[in-house]
Amino acid sequence: MRRAILLLSCATALLVADSPAKPLRDRDLGLSKGSVFEVPAPPKYTDEGSAPGDKKAPKRVNRETPPVIPHGIADSLPITRSSNLCVDCHDVPGPKKKGEPTPIPASHYVDLRRDPEHRTKQVAGSRVVCTLCHVARTDAPALVANRFRP
Amino acid sequence: MSLTLNRRTFLKAGFTTAAIGAGGLPLEALPAEAKGWNWERSVCRFCGTGCGIRVASKEGRVVAVKGDIANPVNRGLLCAKGYACAQILYGGDRLKKPLLRKKDGKFDKQGDFVEVSWKEAFDVMKEQWSKAHKALGPTGVAVMGSGQYTIMEGYAAAKLVKAGWRSNNLDPNARHCMASAVTAFMQTFGIDEPAGCFDDIELTDTVVAWGANMAEMHPMLWARIIDERLRRPGYRIINLTTYANATSEGADLEIVFKPNTDLAIWNYLAREVVKRGAVDKDYVAKHCVFAAGPADIGFGLREDSLKAYAAEKDTQARQKTVVLTREEAIARGLDPEARHERAQTASGSAQKHWLISFEDFQKGLEPYTLDFVAALAKGDADEPLEAFKAKLVQLADEYANPGRKQVSYWTMGFNQHTRGTWVNEQAYMLHLLTGKQARPGAGAFSLTGQPSACGTAREVGTFAHRLPADMSVDDAGHRKVAEEIWSLPHNTLNPKVGSHITQMMRDLEDGKVRWLWIQVTNPFQSTANANHWIEAARKLDNFIVVSDVYPTLSSKVADLILPSAMIYEKWGGYGNAERRTQLWRQVVLPPGEARSDVWQMMEFSKRFTLAEVWGEQAVPGLEAEGYEKGRLPNVLAAAEAMGHKPGATLYEALFATPAAKKVAWPDPVAFGKPNSTVVHAGIDWFPEKALFEEYRRFGLGHGHDLAPFDLYFKRDVAGLRWPVVDGKETLWRFNDQHDPYAKKGAGIDFYGKAMKKLPMGDLDGVKPGDPVALPGKAKIFFRPWQEPPESPNGTYDLWLCTGRVLEHWHSGSMTRRVPQLHAAVPEALLYMHAKDAEQRGLKVGDLAWIESRRGKIQARVTVGGRNRVPRGLVYVPWFDEGVFINKVTLDATCPISKETDFKKCAVRIAKA
Repeated sequence: MRRAILLLSCATALLVADSPAKPLRDRDLGLSKGSVFEVPAPPKYTDEGSAPGDKKAPKRVNRETPPVIPHGIADSLPITRSSNLCVDCHDVPGPKKKGEPTPIPASHYVDLRRDPEHRTKQVAGSRVVCTLCHVARTDAPALVANRFRP
Repeated sequence: MSLTLNRRTFLKAGFTTAAIGAGGLPLEALPAEAKGWNWERSVCRFCGTGCGIRVASKEGRVVAVKGDIANPVNRGLLCAKGYACAQILYGGDRLKKPLLRKKDGKFDKQGDFVEVSWKEAFDVMKEQWSKAHKALGPTGVAVMGSGQYTIMEGYAAAKLVKAGWRSNNLDPNARHCMASAVTAFMQTFGIDEPAGCFDDIELTDTVVAWGANMAEMHPMLWARIIDERLRRPGYRIINLTTYANATSEGADLEIVFKPNTDLAIWNYLAREVVKRGAVDKDYVAKHCVFAAGPADIGFGLREDSLKAYAAEKDTQARQKTVVLTREEAIARGLDPEARHERAQTASGSAQKHWLISFEDFQKGLEPYTLDFVAALAKGDADEPLEAFKAKLVQLADEYANPGRKQVSYWTMGFNQHTRGTWVNEQAYMLHLLTGKQARPGAGAFSLTGQPSACGTAREVGTFAHRLPADMSVDDAGHRKVAEEIWSLPHNTLNPKVGSHITQMMRDLEDGKVRWLWIQVTNPFQSTANANHWIEAARKLDNFIVVSDVYPTLSSKVADLILPSAMIYEKWGGYGNAERRTQLWRQVVLPPGEARSDVWQMMEFSKRFTLAEVWGEQAVPGLEAEGYEKGRLPNVLAAAEAMGHKPGATLYEALFATPAAKKVAWPDPVAFGKPNSTVVHAGIDWFPEKALFEEYRRFGLGHGHDLAPFDLYFKRDVAGLRWPVVDGKETLWRFNDQHDPYAKKGAGIDFYGKAMKKLPMGDLDGVKPGDPVALPGKAKIFFRPWQEPPESPNGTYDLWLCTGRVLEHWHSGSMTRRVPQLHAAVPEALLYMHAKDAEQRGLKVGDLAWIESRRGKIQARVTVGGRNRVPRGLVYVPWFDEGVFINKVTLDATCPISKETDFKKCAVRIAKA
C-alpha cells in the first residue's frame, strides 16, 4: 500500500513536471511557494525522538549510501574523543540479530589511508564522527519527489 | 606516503572490482560489473575539499556514487552530501525547457513563465542585451558567475564577457566566499593560492581552526584531522570561534571570542612571539619584509544611496566618518578619554601599502597586551576573564614553540569580514614571523568553500578585475598577454575594473546594469541586504536571465530561466583548495532540453557580430594610458587585418577558432563516453578540451602550470596539484625542495611578482623616496584591530552570524531535493542562548521575528544542539529560501577584497 502511494505520488510529480505547461507563476516555482516579497512562517518539524530499536530503519537509498539513523540521537551527542555512544552500542559483531543494534560493517575497521591491508581493532579514525556521513531525521516530508532509482 | 592496494583490500573495504582496475588494464576498459553498472572516476559536486568520487551509470542514468579510494583527498569516504551526488540529479522539478515571462504571446516582465524554444529564448535574450548595451555600453550588461563553474565554463565566460563584449562585469559568487583570501595572497606573496596542501594535516603537530567550522563545512578534511588526533597523542586541535560548534567537539582547546576581535588576538600573538624572542630571525631576514597600509578604509558600504531605508542610514554613515571607541583609541596609541573622529579618507585606496621598519611593526603591536586583548576579545559572557586569558596564553605558547609545527585553517570567519584581507594577512604574519610557512606540516592555509573557487573563479579569473593566471585587466602588460593568446586586436580588452557581485546588485538598483545573466549560482538568495535587490529585479526596467538546474529563489525574480546540465551530464574540471585540478568525463545525458553552460555561451555568442561589439564603445570613468578618456577604441580594422572576417560572429572569433577546431571529437580520451555539448552544437570538435588547452597557455612557465588535458584522465592520476612541471605536481610551493619555481639553494623563495616594488613609510603613511624591489620576499603586515560597521546597541541588541550546515550545500537548491538530507535538516533554525530566548519569552520550536535595520523574517527557535551560541549572539544558516536571512544581513564588505561580511550585524529578536 505504502509503495503504491509512493508510486502514485511520483507519477503525479512526473505529470506536473513534464506536462507542457500552463503559464507558471513565479510564486509557484521553487521550494518555498509564495512571492519573494512575502515573509513566510516556517512550518514546525520534530526531531526523531524514538529510542533505538523502537522504529524500523527506513529503507536505505542503496548499498553505497550510508543508512539514515532511525532513532533519536539527541542523547547520544556530542561525539567527542572520550565519548562515542554510537560506537558503544553499534560496535558489535555481525550479522545483525533481531532486537540488537545494527553492527558497524567490516568496511569501518580498515584504515584506508595508511594500512588498507589490515583490520583495525577499533573503528577507523576517519569514521569515528558518525554524523559526518550518517544523518538523523525529522518528521519533515520531502519537498519534491526525487526520481533517483538505484 | 606509499600505499599498496590490492583487489582483496578493496573488496574487504566494500569496493567492487570496477573501482579497482586490474593490473595493466585501464580502468575504463574493465568489463562492467555484474549489475551492468559502469563506474567512472569523477569529483564531488560540493565543497572546496574536492573529494574523489566514483560514479556508476546504467542505461543512461546515474545509479550510484561512492568515495574514490584511489583519491588521496578522501580515500574512499564521502560526507552525507557527497553520498547524495547521484540523487541531486533527479529532483522532480528539474528544469528541462527554457521558461520566459510572457503576456499575450510576447515577453513581458509582469507576465508568468511560459515554456519557449531555445531559439525564442536566445532571440529575446539578445534583443534585451542589445537594448541595455545600446543605452549603457559594455557596463550596462553583466554576468554573475560561480565558484561552481567548471574550469571550462569559467574560461568561456571570461572570454565571452571580457574579450567579446569588452565588459569586465563578470564576477562570481566566489566574491562572497574567498575574495579576501585572494587579496591577502596577492598582497603578501604576490601570487594567489596556498603554499601547502592537505598532506599538512598528517604532518603537522597542531591544527588551529580560525572561523572555520571544519566538522560541518569540510567534513572529509575533519575526518582526516580526527583520524590523526586519535593516532598521535601529541597532536592538538584548537578551535577559535564566536560560538561553540561541531568543531569544538573534537578540539583540545576552544576559544570563543567576540565577533571581529580576531585581529586583536593575532596582534597579541605576534606581540608575544616578538617579546618571547620566538621570531625565526634567519627566516625573516632572508625571506620577509614588514609592511603597513592606511587605517581609515571604511566598510565597503554605499555612501549616498537614494534608496537607503531610513533605518540603515546610521550604519551607512560610518562609511564616511567613524568616532573611535575607547578601545580603538587604545589600540591606536591615542588618549582613550579624548574624542577622535576619523574621516574614512582611504576608503577608495584601501589596497595601498608600503614598507615599514621592524621597529614600527613592533610599535604597532605594543598596545595588544594580554590584559587589553583578553578584555576586548572574550566572547562568552559566562566565561571568567582569567580562564579566557589562560587560553590565549596557551595559544601563544603553541605558536611560539619552535619545536612544534602548526597549520592555521580558516574559511568564511576570516574571509567574510569587513577586515577580511587584513585578518588573512595576519595569519601569514604569525607564520612568517615564526618561520612556519611553506614548509611541510607548517603554514597558514586558506580553505575554500566551493568546489572550484580556486580552479575556476581564481585561476581562470572570473573576477571583475582578473584575467587568467593571476593577471589583471588594469595592467597593460597583462592585457597584452591575454590579447595575444585570445587573438584579439590591441586594446580590445577593457582596462577598467568591472563591478563586483555586490556592486552589480547596487548597479541594478541604480539602473546602471540593465541586463544580467546568472550562471551556476543563486545570488538573490545569497547576497546580503536582499530586500533592495529583489525589489530592483522585479520593479525596475531590466532583464534577468538565470541558467540553473532547478528553480531557485533567483529564478523566481528572473525574466528568463534556462535549463542547464549538471555535473555528470557534461565534461568538466574543478580545482580544489589545495591546488588540485581534477577533470571528469560526461557520464549521462542531460534531461529534456537542458544544455551545458558551455553550449549556452557558445550558442549565444553566435548572435553577436564583431561590428556590434568591437566598434568604439563608451565606458564611463575609463581612464588608462593609451585610451581616449571614457572610450574603448574601434578595433574592427585591426581585427580584419588579423584575419577576423567583417561579418564574423563572436562564436567564430572566440570559440570555433582554427586552433579549437583542430581539437577533434570523437577523442580517444573519451573511452566511449558522450559529449552533449558537441551533439547539441552539431560540431566535430571538442569544446571543453579546446578551452582547457587554450587556457593552459596562460599559466605555463609562470608558476601556474597545468598538465595537458589528457593527463588528468590517466588511470593513476587522481588530480594534480599545480604547478605541474614535467608531469610532476607540487606539494609545497615556494620551498626549493618541492617547488621547481623556487630558486635552488634559497630554501624558501617567495617568487610571486605582483606588488613587489614598494616605497618606505611608517605606521602613518608613505615617506618620500624611491620604491624598493622585493624579489623573493613575503610581506609581514601590521594590521590594526578596529570595530565593525555595526555592533549591537539598545535597539538591535544581538549579533547575527550566518553560515552553512553539513547537510546542505549553499542555498539548498540541490541538497534540499534529496529526501534524507531534507528530512535531516528541513529548515534553517534560529540558534539562541537559552537565557536570551527566555528573556524574550521564547521556547524551543517557537516562531520568532529576526529584525535588522534592513528587513525582518521569521524562524523557529532552538537552543543548544550543534551550535551553542554565547549570550548576545544568534546564528541562522542561509540555505533555506523560506528563512530568507539575507533580507536581514548587512552588505558591508572588506574595502580591499569587496567580500561581504555575512558573519556580523545587529538584530533584535521578538516572539512572533
